[in-house]
Amino acid sequence: MPAKLTATTLPPRPLRTATATLLALAIAGLVALVLWSILAAAGASTGSASRVDIPHLLRMTSIQAGLTTVLSLAVGVALAWSLNRLRFPGRDLVVGLFASAIVTPGMVVAFGLLSIWGRNGWINQISQALFGQPIGNPAFGLTGILFAHVILDGAFAARILLARLDANAPDSLKTGQSLGLSAWQRFAILDWPAMRGSMPGLAAIIFLLAFTSFPIVLLLGGGPANQTLEVAIYAAVRQDFDLLGAVHLALTQIAVCSGVILIAAAFAPVPASFGASVAPSWRDGATARLLQVLVLLLSTIGFGLPLAAVLVDGVTAGFSAVLTQPAFWWAGLSSLLIGSASALLTLLLALGLALGRAATPHAPIRTLLGVPAFAYLAVPAVVLSLGFFLLVRSLGLAPAAAAPAVVILGNSLLALPFAMATLGPPLQAIAATRGKLVRTLGLSGWRQFTAVEYPLLGRDIGVMLALAFCFSLGDLGVIALFGTQDFQTLPLLMFRALGSYRGNDAAAIAAVLLVGTVLAFVGLPKLFERIANAAR
Amino acid sequence: MVKSTRLVAAVLFGLFAAPVSAQETPTLTIYTYDGFAAEWGPGPGLKAGFEATCGCTVQWIAADSSIGTLRRVQLEGDTTPADLIVGLDTAIAGEARDTGLFADHGLDLSGLSLPEPWTDAQFVPFDYAHFAFVYDSDTVNTPPKSFEELIALPADFKIAIQDPRSATPGLGLVLWVKAAYGDRAAQIWAGLKPHILTVTREWSESYNLFLTGEADMALSYTTSPAYHIISENDQTIHAALFDEGHLAQTEVAGILKSSKHQDLARQFLAYMTSAEGQKIIPTTNWMLPVTNLGDQLDPTFATLPQPAKTLMLTDAEIEANSQALIDEMLQAIQ
Amino acid sequence: MLRVDELTFAHPGQARPYVFSMSAAPGEITAVSGASGAGKSTLLDLLAGFLIPATGTMTLDGRDLLPLAPEDRPVSLLLQAQSLFEHLRTDSNVRLGLPARTPRHEADQKVKAALADVGLVGLDSQRASTLSGGQKQRAALARTLLRNRPILLLDEPFSALDDATRTTIRDLVLQLTRERGWHTILVSHHADDITAIASQRYVIADGQLIAV
Repeated sequence: MPAKLTATTLPPRPLRTATATLLALAIAGLVALVLWSILAAAGASTGSASRVDIPHLLRMTSIQAGLTTVLSLAVGVALAWSLNRLRFPGRDLVVGLFASAIVTPGMVVAFGLLSIWGRNGWINQISQALFGQPIGNPAFGLTGILFAHVILDGAFAARILLARLDANAPDSLKTGQSLGLSAWQRFAILDWPAMRGSMPGLAAIIFLLAFTSFPIVLLLGGGPANQTLEVAIYAAVRQDFDLLGAVHLALTQIAVCSGVILIAAAFAPVPASFGASVAPSWRDGATARLLQVLVLLLSTIGFGLPLAAVLVDGVTAGFSAVLTQPAFWWAGLSSLLIGSASALLTLLLALGLALGRAATPHAPIRTLLGVPAFAYLAVPAVVLSLGFFLLVRSLGLAPAAAAPAVVILGNSLLALPFAMATLGPPLQAIAATRGKLVRTLGLSGWRQFTAVEYPLLGRDIGVMLALAFCFSLGDLGVIALFGTQDFQTLPLLMFRALGSYRGNDAAAIAAVLLVGTVLAFVGLPKLFERIANAAR
Repeated sequence: MVKSTRLVAAVLFGLFAAPVSAQETPTLTIYTYDGFAAEWGPGPGLKAGFEATCGCTVQWIAADSSIGTLRRVQLEGDTTPADLIVGLDTAIAGEARDTGLFADHGLDLSGLSLPEPWTDAQFVPFDYAHFAFVYDSDTVNTPPKSFEELIALPADFKIAIQDPRSATPGLGLVLWVKAAYGDRAAQIWAGLKPHILTVTREWSESYNLFLTGEADMALSYTTSPAYHIISENDQTIHAALFDEGHLAQTEVAGILKSSKHQDLARQFLAYMTSAEGQKIIPTTNWMLPVTNLGDQLDPTFATLPQPAKTLMLTDAEIEANSQALIDEMLQAIQ
Repeated sequence: MLRVDELTFAHPGQARPYVFSMSAAPGEITAVSGASGAGKSTLLDLLAGFLIPATGTMTLDGRDLLPLAPEDRPVSLLLQAQSLFEHLRTDSNVRLGLPARTPRHEADQKVKAALADVGLVGLDSQRASTLSGGQKQRAALARTLLRNRPILLLDEPFSALDDATRTTIRDLVLQLTRERGWHTILVSHHADDITAIASQRYVIADGQLIAV
């Protein structure tokens, strides 16, 4: 009998729903405050008339973001499928490397991409040496943008989907194996249902990221023909100082993105299956295995190599020059503190929201509880930085002193949709499959969490913490105006080095960041699976 | 409440908290962009040099960009804690002046050595360089000598430039083309279009595209080769000089009217334009000094070829036209 | 005495509703059988409170059970599968039958005693997923002992067990039902089980319970 979420099979958890409602309202309130504070500062000034062709930009951006989403999900499904089946030495490392793409600063990935696929990249050099002519330059234009975005987002999608596949219940796998399901049947009957629940959330996130992407679109876009609304907003704030116009553009962006979020949320959540990750004894047929190896090889060349190039560039640039700078260590320490604090805050927020969402049987409420967290991602970074600056000032705080708290809050909120995409589906699944048992036993919410949810979520919490930690290592965009040159993080140090001709330092820091990120993604899920699964 | 919040923040983040200044000495608060205040930038040297004589404390507060510093004081208005802004450039000086937030500097700047005599009453220049495309002599044997020669090159000769809406050199290029070609600017942009590999957000991205060999030339400064010669002993990076002449980017500083330390701020500007202050700047900010430093200037800078002709646009021309010029440029290369 | 009177329920799109009437005496096992799809699971869900009937009554010794939420009903549930949380240890599973605030040493004692009552000794610290089918049902029964609710709903509880185990677990259920005075309702389509332990028997046919 299919597990359904109904008012009677779900244990009533008014506290969870109330907490989630409060958090959702608080986030929505914060977004409103940010925009309001900018409007208040704009005052009566009319600013210059908007010179932006909004429909054109929306059309271009939507095409780009839509393609990115479809391609990323397709790549993510294929890659997760292959990784779920194949076992080989260094698999954990490969999984970690793919997962790290999305949290690595976009610029680093973009330049890694160019090291491989650019005019002067490895592929062209090899082609030149072997065949006497280059293959051309696929890294610029719409293809370049899509390529970079799919590296970032497709690999992330694969990581999330892989977790769902790895959690396929051993019993259903055994049943399937004994039935002698073909590779296709296995995918359609066991894998696809397991992944489906994560698709809408993933699609929304990827669309939002691509829609608001800015530096990559400019770097690889090849000119103003490929642009996003975010660029126009940036210009309105920074260059024209047209605050009114900026808020209008930001609202347009939020509205469009919210539409996408609502569509994604309208898909009924599909409970994922559950089980500990076990090494499968079930191998697909030869053709399917060949396809899996091929997918993995192509992905490694396409995605893994650009990241590997970042490491190689870092090593050849020499670490010693960077490692001997005190600034590097201070920035590293700041990054660790910021990342840890943000990751913890993200975990609390995500649990608060996701537990509340899983506790309600009403689809519209679930949607409403999720939208603010996603909508925050749609607020342009430059608007956030301006709004937070004005907010902090109106609270009477010194910007420099408030900066760490703002960074932690800002980064947690940015990482929140990722965290909810990670924790939401498994929590829904627990509610659906264990709801009856929990309810007849009359377990309290706290007991439900400590005895049932937390132990089952261990690995996912690890993935989520790794995501939030790396995501929050040091994006300081939100405090761009705060004036805190003593407050450095590794990504900021890297961009400063890049902005001061110090390309070697930047390359070395990028490599350090990447190594740390991969380690976090390999280590944290394992660690938390162990902690949560300690016999209890 | 606010106090306790700050206390908590200070305890939690003691690492990052702004240094508490002693009560007796006045603190000169200067807004600048982060590269200027970075430990390898001119900020620390200027601070140490000025503090040695002023009996004061210099506090750099770095926003993420020079335009960011201006926007911040515009938002703060009279309540700004800033005494000075260091690091605006001539392309936004007019707009900054119009805010009415800046005081006259009152300094005699006739002794400065700039391509053109300096007459600005509010802003004091502290370094400059001409916008130029840089190339690598290992891969580019005969660099173009004008925009028109560049346009005539085969389409696979690529340049990386910056978005005028996000990067000051990007705006500089728009103004440069306008100053050189006037009404023909749109035509020049249309000719450049096939050569434009991409239009990046920041200078650093274009420059990195050039260094990694993705672009043959990148929009930068005539002084860029100095970094490679001095820091990396690399003699292959050069600036391509154009016959039309080059537009200069002059970085300026200004005193805010709301400052309580007008005299101190003026002294700082005097120090920054003195030989003692100026000698710090070339090898930290990689721009040319505005005073004649003689043999105190790293000899490498003297070896850099300088453009024969410096193009000029007035503040009024820039302010009145920059938006239209940006639109024209975007339209032409769309 | 558990009395169910004209409990009416229709799933969405179901033309003719179920109408269930039955009674179950304390200390006895009441069996319900019926063809697959006849409505056995629906009956159990109605009794446990997971489905809300349109009309009808359900009382235990005169007390109306229908307004009660599943967790408040005097009902224990033993399913064919998923009776236990497989990621938890055996004793942790059994402890879930006790109120959360039970002091630790008291809980430990009660859990041990309950496990002994169902004949499950020495497996306390094993993870539930490593237990055999019979051991799992014993553990679930131990939890039911601790919860001690007067109504025990059994959904095909013996179907996954081998013959020998099946007989012993079956006898255990009968023994506990008698000792504790439970109203045990056994849903099964195995005639063996029913004749062996049930004192009263119903069959579901045409959406109704018919006493046999």
